Amino acid sequence: MAAITKIKPDLSVDFAGIRLKNPVLTASGTFGYGEEFRDIVDLNKLGGVIVKGVSLRPIKGNPPPRIWETPAGMLNAIGLENPGVDVFLSEKLPYLRNFNTAVIVNIFGSTLDEYVAVAERLDRVSGISGLEVNISCPNVKAGGIVFGTNVEATFDLLSALRRATKLPLIAKLSPNVTDITVFARAAEDAGCDGLSLINTLLGMAIDVRCRRPRLANCTGGLSGPAIRPVAVRMVWQAARSVKIPIIGMGGILTAEDALEFILAGASAVAVGTANFVNPLATLNVVKGIENFLREEGIETVRELVGKVMA
Amino acid sequence: MAQHGAAGKGYYRLVLRAPELADAALPGQFVMLRVSDNLDPILARPFGISAVIAKKSIELYYRIVGRGTSMLSGVEAGRLLRVLGPIGNGFPAPAKETVPVLIAGGSGFPPFLFFSTYFRTVSPIVVIGARSRSCLPPYAAISRFKDRAKKVYIATDDGSAGRKGLVTDMLSSVFASTKEQGRFVFYACGPRGMMAAAAAFAERHGIPCHVSMEERMACGLGVCMGCSVAAASGGYKRVCKEGPVFDSREIDWSEQMLLKLRK
Repeated sequence: MAAITKIKPDLSVDFAGIRLKNPVLTASGTFGYGEEFRDIVDLNKLGGVIVKGVSLRPIKGNPPPRIWETPAGMLNAIGLENPGVDVFLSEKLPYLRNFNTAVIVNIFGSTLDEYVAVAERLDRVSGISGLEVNISCPNVKAGGIVFGTNVEATFDLLSALRRATKLPLIAKLSPNVTDITVFARAAEDAGCDGLSLINTLLGMAIDVRCRRPRLANCTGGLSGPAIRPVAVRMVWQAARSVKIPIIGMGGILTAEDALEFILAGASAVAVGTANFVNPLATLNVVKGIENFLREEGIETVRELVGKVMA
Repeated sequence: MAQHGAAGKGYYRLVLRAPELADAALPGQFVMLRVSDNLDPILARPFGISAVIAKKSIELYYRIVGRGTSMLSGVEAGRLLRVLGPIGNGFPAPAKETVPVLIAGGSGFPPFLFFSTYFRTVSPIVVIGARSRSCLPPYAAISRFKDRAKKVYIATDDGSAGRKGLVTDMLSSVFASTKEQGRFVFYACGPRGMMAAAAAFAERHGIPCHVSMEERMACGLGVCMGCSVAAASGGYKRVCKEGPVFDSREIDWSEQMLLKLRK
């Protein structure tokens, strides 16, 4: 083992052409558009912010109950509530421009055309570093089959988006598939610059006295520490099947959790549910990674990417 | 946790020493309290603030309603717990010529304890309802209401204490028994059905009405969008950000009732 270095470790990452000062980002849907954390987290200290998903038109979201706590996690069926791309551009993005942090906009739609329309609206807008494409949405033109669970639909969607924008394009993969590597390769083949995974696992909880689902939507997305082993496994599998870089996420609470993903093959990580558990979680993860590098005598975080001996 | 103990009627009273929080707290606001010092349970629990003590501590009352509150009840005084707050918009301050009618159903009374000690230019009417005598607020809490209120009315569904009937039946008597109805402002906190009925009564009689809403919560910061309640204008409003106190006309009560009936 190398002697403990006295040089400050280099946490910077070049992710798909986006310069990140450190590998820690906030996961979409867990940090709003940054303003709510104004007095809590200095966004300048984060590698980047992935904002709550933006759609072409405003979406109201699902009726409550929208959330339910589960062992080491939670289910959510928020329903993609957001004010729409126009309000995002006029009211939300200006605040984020005040900070020296990457702003990645998560986008989605209910048809391929809607996805493309949102991407076109965001293309060449200053202050946006990249787009993260939420492919875990039902395609209403195909009977509601989720894009991200069908390879052809995934490839067609991402190819269309590739044509629509020059921004770095990151495909957020769904874990609710049999073989994540098939989808990872489809995204790479379609021209994506990077991947992010995993999105939430589909789950359900039932109130046994009332005999009803706990969520108004019946099913919802499971997040939090409970899903971390699944997420780490999928990042590892995906990283071995593509060359494009990966943002790893799924139940990261501490720096050690983040490092699991990095060793598995992620070049950057996103912290989500942890923001509800400890609003300072992102900052703790940044500091913790830095301390780890120092203790292990490692000069750059980059050299850890994919270094699990498996 | 400075003090923690059973308060009677199945309620627990806890006092948390948290000077910065206590100094900023206003009636109607709440806190998100982590009930253990580890990740089980993973989410904090919301509790309405019932008092600020010597500008240093906040008081909360709660019942055991699930896993989180069950775990909390076993935490001894002297332990340190993480708390986020004060959260939310609080009750609008009552103008001194008004007569606040504080309508507390079930475990909705704590924010009104704070209201009645904080707003000293008014003397409220307090209407307390519960399913039965054993579900009423603890004696000490009712006593505190009596210290500050013009009058305290009690109603139980089964008639085991006070008047038999719903809180909203009581409102008709309250309304009829005074010449000051024109100065009434309703504040309601409790089960959805009760608040919907109070809102409807207020609407019929042209009385301003503020409701303190409650919904399952994850972040308490306004980012997860989990605690949203249906708004009359369409769409949803966050209990932790736009609320918890709303003008009753802002709420879509029909959807509230639909959701309640599913239970």
